[in-house]
Amino acid sequence: MIETWGLARVGAVVFGLSIAGAAAAAPDFTGVWGNYRAPGSAAPQRGAPQAPLPLRPDAKAKVDAYHALVDPIGDSPGGHCLGTGMPGSMLGSGGYPMEIVQHDNVILVVFEAHAEIRRIYLGERAKAEDLFPDRNGYSFGRWEGDKLIVETTHLKEAVDQARYPHSENAKIVEEYSLVANDDGTKVLTSKMTMTDPEFYTQPITAEKKWQLQPGVRLLPYECNEPAWEEHLERLRQAQNDG
Amino acid sequence: MKRFGGRLLAVAWVLAPFAAFAHHSAIRFDLTIRDNMVTGIVKQFEAANPHTKIVLEVTDAKGTRDIEYEGHSRNNYYRAGWREGMVKVGDKITLIAAPTRDGSDGGYALGVIAADGTKF
Repeated sequence: MIETWGLARVGAVVFGLSIAGAAAAAPDFTGVWGNYRAPGSAAPQRGAPQAPLPLRPDAKAKVDAYHALVDPIGDSPGGHCLGTGMPGSMLGSGGYPMEIVQHDNVILVVFEAHAEIRRIYLGERAKAEDLFPDRNGYSFGRWEGDKLIVETTHLKEAVDQARYPHSENAKIVEEYSLVANDDGTKVLTSKMTMTDPEFYTQPITAEKKWQLQPGVRLLPYECNEPAWEEHLERLRQAQNDG
Repeated sequence: MKRFGGRLLAVAWVLAPFAAFAHHSAIRFDLTIRDNMVTGIVKQFEAANPHTKIVLEVTDAKGTRDIEYEGHSRNNYYRAGWREGMVKVGDKITLIAAPTRDGSDGGYALGVIAADGTKF
């Protein structure tokens, strides 16, 4: 009787481990994702007031100077076919969809807008001497159970971020989780914390949700074509004039 | 140019692409005005990213002239129903165009009614 009870306990433990193991399996984020909107909720309002950011005075001066330069003419990186960069590339995606392609050693995030690509590396971390600053930085991820934790460093200073400008020393940590709503809609959530003592007096946090969009495909986003055509036209003119 | 007073064509149609272009600054335009209709003859319609370029020959109280409008990206117009060849030079089309803030010619084409009545 004691042995039976003991076996039952062992069996229960093994069963429990099996469940835990299944729960820990990495979910598959592969697919095309758009902004999540809860059923029945209103569309987001443009221009809704934003809480002021806890910028340090020097950083605020840089950001204000940038806006004084470009705002009167409505200029922006995107208007010049430049990718947004982190954290805006992730937080701002969804109007234009983004596609995630998940491999064991790397997760590709392809943003339709500006045909921007972000790579989240898994497994072996690159050596610091092999990295250089970039608008999307260097992202390294690891699975913690069914959550993906992504750490991003090696960013360029970006005062032109629409919401969260940052210095080159900013560090962004994201936690991604995937759930299915009662109606079957798959929802991907990112909880972001950006730590940047050079720009901010405290860490910045934000949350973003997307929903899977079955049947949607990313469209090409050639953006420099008109500029190239205009350049060619100028060359032709110069050739004819010469 | 005239203001279109009714509830106007499905509001959702006009608002739908909003989220996608929100990251491009459109500060030159008064996007709160979403019922300004402009009809003219197409001189140029270049569906492009990040923004479409539309030149219309417009006749109004100021006379007849070519006016350049900016529009949503090609991708947004595509998802709203635009297809290649739908708008051609010489077509008479109508724009739902947010006007410029300073009142000068031009605007931001929130929506288009093509010559055959297709709306995008």
